[in-house]
Amino acid sequence: MTSASAPLVSIRALHKSYGPHIQVLKGLDIEMKPGERVVVIGPSGGGKSTLLRVVMGLEKIDSGSVTFGGRPYISSAGAGAKTVIDTEVRRSIGMVFQHYTLFPHLSVVQNLVLAPCKVRGEKKASAVRRAEALLERFGLAAKANAYPAQLSGGQKQRVAIARALMLDPKLMLFDEVTSALDPELVAEVEQVILQLAGQDMPMMIVTHDMWFAKNIASRVIFCAGGVVVEDGPPEQVLGAPREERTREFIDRVFHIKQ
Amino acid sequence: MSLDFSVLLLFQDALVLGLWTTIKLTLICVVLGSSLGFLVGLARTAPSAVVRGIASVYVEFFRGTPVLIQLFWIFFCLPLILGVELSNLASGVIALTLYMGAITSETFRASLKSVGREQMDACIALGLPRHVQVTSVILPQAVLRAVPTLLSNCVSLFKESALVSAVGMADLMFVGQNISNNTARPVEVLTVVALIYFAIAFPLTRAVTLVEGRILKKLAI
Repeated sequence: MTSASAPLVSIRALHKSYGPHIQVLKGLDIEMKPGERVVVIGPSGGGKSTLLRVVMGLEKIDSGSVTFGGRPYISSAGAGAKTVIDTEVRRSIGMVFQHYTLFPHLSVVQNLVLAPCKVRGEKKASAVRRAEALLERFGLAAKANAYPAQLSGGQKQRVAIARALMLDPKLMLFDEVTSALDPELVAEVEQVILQLAGQDMPMMIVTHDMWFAKNIASRVIFCAGGVVVEDGPPEQVLGAPREERTREFIDRVFHIKQ
Repeated sequence: MSLDFSVLLLFQDALVLGLWTTIKLTLICVVLGSSLGFLVGLARTAPSAVVRGIASVYVEFFRGTPVLIQLFWIFFCLPLILGVELSNLASGVIALTLYMGAITSETFRASLKSVGREQMDACIALGLPRHVQVTSVILPQAVLRAVPTLLSNCVSLFKESALVSAVGMADLMFVGQNISNNTARPVEVLTVVALIYFAIAFPLTRAVTLVEGRILKKLAI
């Protein structure tokens, strides 16, 4: 296997439950190649968001493992064993959440420079320069000194994306980033993500927006009941699904959308 | 009966001195008490059940008993137990600090809790080390959210401080009672003393509303 086709993320036999009775992930296997843009779709409670949270290192797991760029990243031996997370590896992954999670007491530019300055010891002046360039690119130059409460939902989410990019991630995770937005603000956020896709940023996206999924995905995974039901190119999974459960889901979603 | 407020002019200086004592006592106990309250608030969210337990017992005890008894207990009983005489200033400061510590710890606990789990997720996703999470993200938000309630706590303390007159501290209340006894004009004297307390407490309570509105607007996300 050449290094070019070596997986970027490799998830093996991932099990995760909340408490003794709620099993969310029941043995998930996913391999993601560099440059891929994986969109994860599926019914609520099917484990999509949990999957992203695990990859970000926000959740303990019951058993299984995740490797990143060939390095062991997250593992648990199972049955009450501790979840081991390599925080060094975690730093190369960025995540954007449904509810923005900006720091409300900091201005936009302060939100952006906090992590680079505190985590990587970058000089404030240089971090601010990079932050201003990113904001300019995302059409937010005028908002550098505003506070999150003064921004629209779409602006907040673009700031959140910029904040994650300040750390030069090797993988971006987007967890239902447009679900909390008013419909007219969805496009401006999706445009920014599409712009990143154009620069070959590897990403894993959980979304309910099938139009967006179709436009951005290089690969679609349909996740239900804690397992991968179908996995393939968007034309297949969204257009002509092979699995009955995928077809039912796609029919229902597109029916509602009309 | 005829009211004669002019008698108060004779005791102007005494009233000013009394008020100054009240303000000094309040300021000292606000600083000491809210620092104690912050630490206790942190202790009440600590991972260790023992630490949480001790902090809870302290808070519940001081919130569940009258301040006057706490004050008397510290003034009369503590010296018997420790075998050292406490000045009335010292007992007043100790009692009001412990009282303020208990009520502000609740304020801080609530504000620490209100910095939600999502903020923690964001910290982890940005790779912020634990000490940066606390100093740059949690603390500033917790303190900011606590400010309006803390101001209310200060107003309460300012009013409750009148109780120290009961152990002979020459605060505004004590001076007022003395003048009232010596002049036999309780209506005039106690009314004016009440108005002095009100003149300071009222603007503070208005300030609480103002500050609250501003902070809520800023932190609304």
